[in-house]
Amino acid sequence: MTKITHSFALSLVAAGLLASTGVNAESVAIINATVHTSTEQGILQGASIIMDEGKIIAINPTKVEADTIIDAKGQIVTAGFIGSMNQLGLVEVGAVAGSRDAGDDKAGIDFDPSLAFNPRSSLIPYARKGGITRDVITPHGGDSIFAGLASVVDLSGEFDSVKQTHAALVVNLGEQRKGSRAMSLKNLIDKFEAHQQKASKKDKKDDAKPSTEDKVLTKVLAGEMPLLVSASRASDILELLKVKQQFKLNLVISGAQDAVVVKAQLAEANVPVIISAMDNLPGSFDSLHANLNNAGELEKAGVKVIFAIAGDGSHNVYQLRFDAGNAVSYGMSQQGALHAITANVADVFGINAGRVAVGKAADLVMWNNDPFELSSHVTKMFINGEEVTTESRQDKLRDRYMAESEMPRAYTK
Amino acid sequence: MMQKFAPSLLVVALGVALAGCQDSGPQDEKVTINKNPYPSTYQALKSTSTLITNATVLTGTGERLEEADVLLIDGKVQQVGKDLTVQVDNTIDAQGKWVTPGLIDVHSHLGAYPNPSVESHQDGNEMTSPNTAEVWVEHSVWPQDPGFNRAREGGITSLQILPGSANLFGGRGVTLKNVPAHTMQSMKFPDAPYGLKMACGENPKRVYGRKGILPSTRMGNMAGYRTAWIDAAEYKREWDKYDSDYAAGKNPEVPHRDIKFDTLRGVLEGEVMIHNHCYKAEEMAMMIDLSKEFGYHAGTFHHGIEAYKIADMLADNGSCAALWPDWWGFKMEAYDMVQENVAIVDAVKNSCAVVHSDSDTTIQRLNQEAGKVMFRANDNGFNISEEHAIKWITSNAAKSLGIADKTGSLEAGKQGDVVIWNQNPFSVYAKAEQVFVDGAKVYDRHDDAYQAQSDFMLGQK
Repeated sequence: MTKITHSFALSLVAAGLLASTGVNAESVAIINATVHTSTEQGILQGASIIMDEGKIIAINPTKVEADTIIDAKGQIVTAGFIGSMNQLGLVEVGAVAGSRDAGDDKAGIDFDPSLAFNPRSSLIPYARKGGITRDVITPHGGDSIFAGLASVVDLSGEFDSVKQTHAALVVNLGEQRKGSRAMSLKNLIDKFEAHQQKASKKDKKDDAKPSTEDKVLTKVLAGEMPLLVSASRASDILELLKVKQQFKLNLVISGAQDAVVVKAQLAEANVPVIISAMDNLPGSFDSLHANLNNAGELEKAGVKVIFAIAGDGSHNVYQLRFDAGNAVSYGMSQQGALHAITANVADVFGINAGRVAVGKAADLVMWNNDPFELSSHVTKMFINGEEVTTESRQDKLRDRYMAESEMPRAYTK
Repeated sequence: MMQKFAPSLLVVALGVALAGCQDSGPQDEKVTINKNPYPSTYQALKSTSTLITNATVLTGTGERLEEADVLLIDGKVQQVGKDLTVQVDNTIDAQGKWVTPGLIDVHSHLGAYPNPSVESHQDGNEMTSPNTAEVWVEHSVWPQDPGFNRAREGGITSLQILPGSANLFGGRGVTLKNVPAHTMQSMKFPDAPYGLKMACGENPKRVYGRKGILPSTRMGNMAGYRTAWIDAAEYKREWDKYDSDYAAGKNPEVPHRDIKFDTLRGVLEGEVMIHNHCYKAEEMAMMIDLSKEFGYHAGTFHHGIEAYKIADMLADNGSCAALWPDWWGFKMEAYDMVQENVAIVDAVKNSCAVVHSDSDTTIQRLNQEAGKVMFRANDNGFNISEEHAIKWITSNAAKSLGIADKTGSLEAGKQGDVVIWNQNPFSVYAKAEQVFVDGAKVYDRHDDAYQAQSDFMLGQK
């Protein structure tokens, strides 16, 4: 694995002056790469990429000039993968309450867990092993249907990792632990109607400063902030499409196990879905159509698909590439699966990354082999143009217990 | 050991148990505990003689044969080799495909925590007492769990269903043949030994600590096991004495029957195998000492996140370690995961490394789970081959369950449990194309007639 020495001076510059981007003062070029661009360009053979100031500044320039030139020797380079629907940096150990910050009983529309994001979490270097460079951290929420606000973070491990707050408003609909899903949906509609009424009154008499909740609702109802709703059953999805129509929402549906049943309507309404490619069991009466073929079926129907890891997606987000591989195995196109963990996530959440294209964040991953294969691994990785390591705490533990030593293991560091 | 499960010895009237109270005089009818009251009714599906030709064959014994043939006759593996010339009913050209033994998952909750996972289906954890050795998970198994079909489509031909890990003693596990059925008994693996689920660490102490009873600590866990084994030893002594006194012509009083202690006695007599949910190195080390204190075998350690820290100790004790490739971080005792855990355990002489699922999803891709371990280990200095790695999900798993004499490898005389893969099974793109159990085709990816569907899914729209 790559071992990187960060320049201390550089870190200071990054933290002090350009806290929102993270910058490498040195330009880097990768040459002779097989670039899977996640754009219409598809795959570029023998390509070169130049990054500077945290961004990709050139692809296949006539002349390669950079402070550092890396010969990929034909290896595959992809955009860094983007996770979502997990609590990376908001949880260290699932069952340790004090290490969990993604939920709160009182969470609502204005709950923003990014304030609690911990870039030093041991989950982050581990996630990088899977080529994950960015992530949409998503609140669990609490008692309300409104779970709170999603944010976009990078996986640099630096203290300026939170790149974008208020990336989506997260709502939990569908199957309810108690009560009726009809009431949940009504609460959502009521909230939107009440806000519209309030807003129209305010137009006449502009008094109090709007609350965070009001600001969020205004953005959601203007279609400027995605409304990220969990729902699975086909009838629930259709009801949501009506709500989208009524309020002109930028609707995204997560879970969506039975989305395949209404794939044509989803495509027509231009509503993306965030699914687990591996969901194929009827976990409830809402997901009787979960199937490994669904990703490919949705793709063919023209639905924009994003992959997220089912279950504990925080500790396991590194597996996203394997989920993508399995989706390919069950009928999705290789490019479609790649987009489902790169460009599509970027598009839905307004992230300037996820493609190997000029102007995008220089989040690049070099692979020794097909990145979807179990056999491949990361050989080099850049986030915002800076090289990062994939070495994690797990590697330290392995090395300690495999080392030969006369002394107790505790002395092997 | 197996004879003790034979039905002929078992049916003796229990009704007279209360009658004989005299220690001498004419003998009352002997009371014998029926050790197999819910016997297997498994019947292999109809099979024909089958020759699978020209495949890359991983035998499960560590061998890899190229362009090789596998012959199944009368439900058994008859022969594995090159250019077999024999008249069969069914020849399958497996050119370019790979053949392995049927996969075995030693840790599943299918049927006991089935899908849909509604409240009514939570039948895997009898969380009412820290010692529920009296429960048998087979009594919870819903054979219509659609997960059995999904697992078969991933090449799983045998699996052990275990109770959950809330209790120090969670109850008996059961090993099943993964055939579609509508009774548990008709899936039950004939003559497979029973397992007893034990659990270390956080789960028991959390569940019972909340209720304000022992155990609320790890030391409480140990006290709970030791107390139970002391009682079990006494129970065994009473029954052994009854048996020997009766054999000596006396008419002894029949000891009180307790099905909890029947199971623990079964462990002390080597008939019931321990399957121990245990994550941490220091706890596994104590569980091995515990087994020595009371004279039984510590069996297989399941989950064993820290097994790599004590790989030599596990091998010395003859204990298998059934592990995940990469689950971690969901609780403190799962924090020290390394992706090479299985490989490090495996590297020790006389080891028994197993990859398990404990999941209704990854059970469908146990081949990929093993692949993840193999490739990560090979990235970090190991040199593990496919023919070796397949043992983690076939023959080593069979050893852990005490069925290695019957299945888990492609050797003459073994049960005809076989998977034909479309390619190298350690690829993310690999799929089981045909699955055989006891020589009978139970799944065919390209033939709807061999794709079983659960009652639950039938007619759903």
